[in-house]
Amino acid sequence: MEMNIVIAGEAGQGAFSVELELTETLSRLNTHFFATKHYMSRVRGGHNYHMIRIADHPVHALRGGKWDMIVALDGETERLHKPNLREGGIYLSQEMAKEIGDAAKEAFGNIAASNAILVGIVLAVIGVSPEKVAEAAEPGKEEYLKKGVEFAAQWKLTGAFPVSATAGEHRKFDGNQALALGAILGGCQFMAGYPMTPATSIMDYFSKAAAGLPIHFEQAEDEIAAINMVLGASYAGVRSMAATSGGGFALMQEAVSLAGMTETPVVIAVSQRPGPATGLPTRTEQADLHFVLNAGHGEFSRIIFAPGATGEMIALTRKSFELADRYQIPVFILTDQYFADSVQICEEEIPLDVGSREYREFDRTYKRYQLTDDGISPLTFPGLSEALVKLDSDEHDEEGKITEDQGLRIRMADKRRNKITLLRKEAVSPTFYGDLDASSFLFCWGSTKHIVKEAAERLSSEGIPAAVLHFGQVYPLTPEMVAPYRLEEKRLIGVENNAGGQFARLLKSELGLAVDHSVLKYDGDCFTVEELYQALKGLLS
Amino acid sequence: MMETKVDTAWCPGCGNFAIRDVLEKALHELPVPVSKIVLTSGIGQAAKMPHYVGVNYFNGLHGRSLPLAVGIKLARPDLTVVAYSGDGCMYGEGGNHFIHTIGRRLDLTILVSDNRVYALTKGQSSPTTDPDVKNPLSPEGNRNIPLNPLALAITMGAPFVARGFTGEKEHLKELIKQAILFKGTALVDILQPCVSFNKINTYQWYKERVFHLENPLTDRYEALKTAELWGEKIPIGVIYRNESAECRQIKEIFRKQATQEDMECQVDMKCVMMR
Repeated sequence: MEMNIVIAGEAGQGAFSVELELTETLSRLNTHFFATKHYMSRVRGGHNYHMIRIADHPVHALRGGKWDMIVALDGETERLHKPNLREGGIYLSQEMAKEIGDAAKEAFGNIAASNAILVGIVLAVIGVSPEKVAEAAEPGKEEYLKKGVEFAAQWKLTGAFPVSATAGEHRKFDGNQALALGAILGGCQFMAGYPMTPATSIMDYFSKAAAGLPIHFEQAEDEIAAINMVLGASYAGVRSMAATSGGGFALMQEAVSLAGMTETPVVIAVSQRPGPATGLPTRTEQADLHFVLNAGHGEFSRIIFAPGATGEMIALTRKSFELADRYQIPVFILTDQYFADSVQICEEEIPLDVGSREYREFDRTYKRYQLTDDGISPLTFPGLSEALVKLDSDEHDEEGKITEDQGLRIRMADKRRNKITLLRKEAVSPTFYGDLDASSFLFCWGSTKHIVKEAAERLSSEGIPAAVLHFGQVYPLTPEMVAPYRLEEKRLIGVENNAGGQFARLLKSELGLAVDHSVLKYDGDCFTVEELYQALKGLLS
Repeated sequence: MMETKVDTAWCPGCGNFAIRDVLEKALHELPVPVSKIVLTSGIGQAAKMPHYVGVNYFNGLHGRSLPLAVGIKLARPDLTVVAYSGDGCMYGEGGNHFIHTIGRRLDLTILVSDNRVYALTKGQSSPTTDPDVKNPLSPEGNRNIPLNPLALAITMGAPFVARGFTGEKEHLKELIKQAILFKGTALVDILQPCVSFNKINTYQWYKERVFHLENPLTDRYEALKTAELWGEKIPIGVIYRNESAECRQIKEIFRKQATQEDMECQVDMKCVMMR
C-alpha cells in the first residue's frame, strides 16, 4: 500500500515546512517515504510543490501517475494538479486550507501551526492511531497534530489510504546531506564555496557540522577564490573540497587543471542543474558529465563518481578523499538538484569511522615530484619536517622548480597521465539489478538509479524482462566493469536526464558499447517511475 | 642558509634581482625556520620569485596567489604565509581577491613587485600604468586611471600598508621583515623599474622622487592623503600602521580529527532549504 501526496502553493506559504515536518514525523514513526520538490527560483510567490510518497515498503523514487491526495495552498494548484487526482482521491482545497489556518489562529494564536495540523491530517489519512500521532509529535506540537486528526475525522478522511509502518531503525538524508556527511567521514576538514543552487545546501550542512568539529568552511568572494583556497588548504595538509554547480564549476576550471599539474589532492562536488548559462536554476538535469570529464586544460588523470542512492553517496564521497590522497588527483562527485533535494530513508548501515591522512616526514633531499616506479611521488606538507614542499603550475622538475627541459616535460606529462592505469584498477563496479538472462539492459548513472530500477521491476513483473546497470563511477570506465553481462547479446537502452545522451556517448568512446535506444528527459524535472515505465514499455513490447 | 644561485628568468638589470636578494635575506633573518615559511605566487616575471629564495612555495595561477595563501593560512595558522606577485597579477587578474583577502583579517603578507607594466607579455598596460603611456595594445596611450594599491588597501581596512623601492635595498629588506612580523594583513607595494618595457619609471626617475617617511602614519585619513602622493614626491616606508586592528581567530583543525561520537551527533542534521 502507498499514498502519494502533493502539497502545492506559493513560495513562502508553508508547503516546504509541511514537507519538512511530515518527513520528520514519518521518520519517527518508522514509515517508509520518499519526498522531493519542484520549486522556482524565487523566495516568495510563484508555484512550488512538494511530492511525498508514503509506503509500506522501501521507496526511492516518485511513483508518478495520479495523486492520492492533493493539498492546495493556492489557486494554481486546482488548474495544475487537480486533473491528476485519482478517482476517490482526497482534494484538500484552498478553502479547507483556509479553515485550517483560521483554526490555527483561533486555537493556538499561531498561523504557522497550520503546517503541523496538515501533518496531523495526513497521518490520520494513512491510518496512524491518535495515540501514535501524539507520540510522534515534535515536543510542543502535540495539540496541533491532534487538531489535524480532528479535522480528518470531521472531513471523513481517517484511514482513507492506510499505510503500515515497516521501516524499522533507519537514518534519513537528502542527497546533499549525504554528500556532506560522506565528506566529513572521508576526513574532509576544509571547504570553501560560493553559494549556488543546488550546491548551497552542501555548504550549509558542512558549515553546520563545522560548528562542533575540527572543520572549517570559508565563504569565498567567487568560485575561483573558493577552489584556490581549497587547493591551498590541501597543500597545507588538510583534506579539502569544493562544491558548486555548473556555472560555478566553469569558473573553477583553471584550478582543476592546476590540481592536475601540481598533483594536489582535491574533491569537487558538482551539483547539476539545467544549462546552458543560468538555465533553470532550481531544476534538475544530468548534462554536465562531459563538461566535468573534460574540465581543465591539458592532460591529467581524474575520477568521476555519480552516486544514485544516499548510502552510495556517503560511501563514494568518503572514498573520494582516500583516492584523491593516494593518487594526488582531482576526484569529482556528480550529483543534481533532484538528488540534492530528495529526502529518503537510508536502509543501509552507515559506518561512522572517520578517514585520516598519513603525515610523512622527510629531510632536505625531499622532492615533491620524485619520479617513482608507479608514478606516485611521496606526499608531505610544509612545516612538518626539514623538507621544503615546492609546487609549480609551470612544467617542473622533480623538486618542483620551473623547467622547459623537453625530456623532463615528457616524463612529467607521462607521470600525470599514467595514473589513469592505476585508477582503472580501482574502478567501482556498476550496481546490477534484475536477471542476468534479461534480453534488455537499461544503462543509467547518478540520480536516476532507483527510478530505473523500479521501472525495470514493473516491466519484468509484466513479462518484459529488463535488467539495470547503474554506474556510480562514470569515469574511468573499464571492460571489467561490464564483463559479467554478455552485453553483446543484449538490447542496450540508455536512460538519462539530458538531451544528448552523454553517458551513452561515453560508453561508446570508452567501452565501444553502442546503446540501441536512449530514453531522455530534459524539461527540468526528474523521471517518475510511471513515466519511464510507459516509455520503456512502448520501446520494449 | 642561502639558496645556491640559479639561472633566473629575468632580464639583466631587472628590479626583481634586488628584490630576490632582500627577500631571501629577510626570510632567512626572520625568527622562523624556513621550513615554516610558505610563499604563494601567481604568474608573471615577478611570480617566479619563490623558485629563487629557498622556502616552501605554491606557484599557482595568474591572479590566484591570494586565495591560495588564504587557504594555507586557514588550514595551518602555524605557517608564515607570504603572497608574492606582480602588479598585473595582484591588482588586475587577482583584483577581486586583493580586495576581499584584506577583509578576511588574516595574518598574511602581500608583496607586490610593481613595475607598472605587463613585462612577461611584452609591455602592455597594467592596472598601475600611468594615463597616456603608449604601448603595443594602447598605441594611442593608456586610457585608464591607474589603480592606487596603497589607498585601496587602506580603504579596505588593511592594518599595515607600505611602499618600498628596489633602489633602496636595506630599507626594503626592513620593510619586508616588518610586514611579515606584523600581526595582520600587511601590504608592501614595491616600486620596481622594468628595464625592458617601462622607459618612464626608471631607477633615475624614482631616485629623484622618493623620500622616506619618518614614522608610520596611524591616522587612516592622513595615511590616505599620503598614499595619494605621486609625481614629484613619492613617499616610501610604512604609510599606515594600525596596531589596534585585530586578526581573526582561526580554528585549529590540522591533525585534529572528528571522532565516531561526533559523527553520531552529525547524522541527524536537519534539512535546510536552498536558495
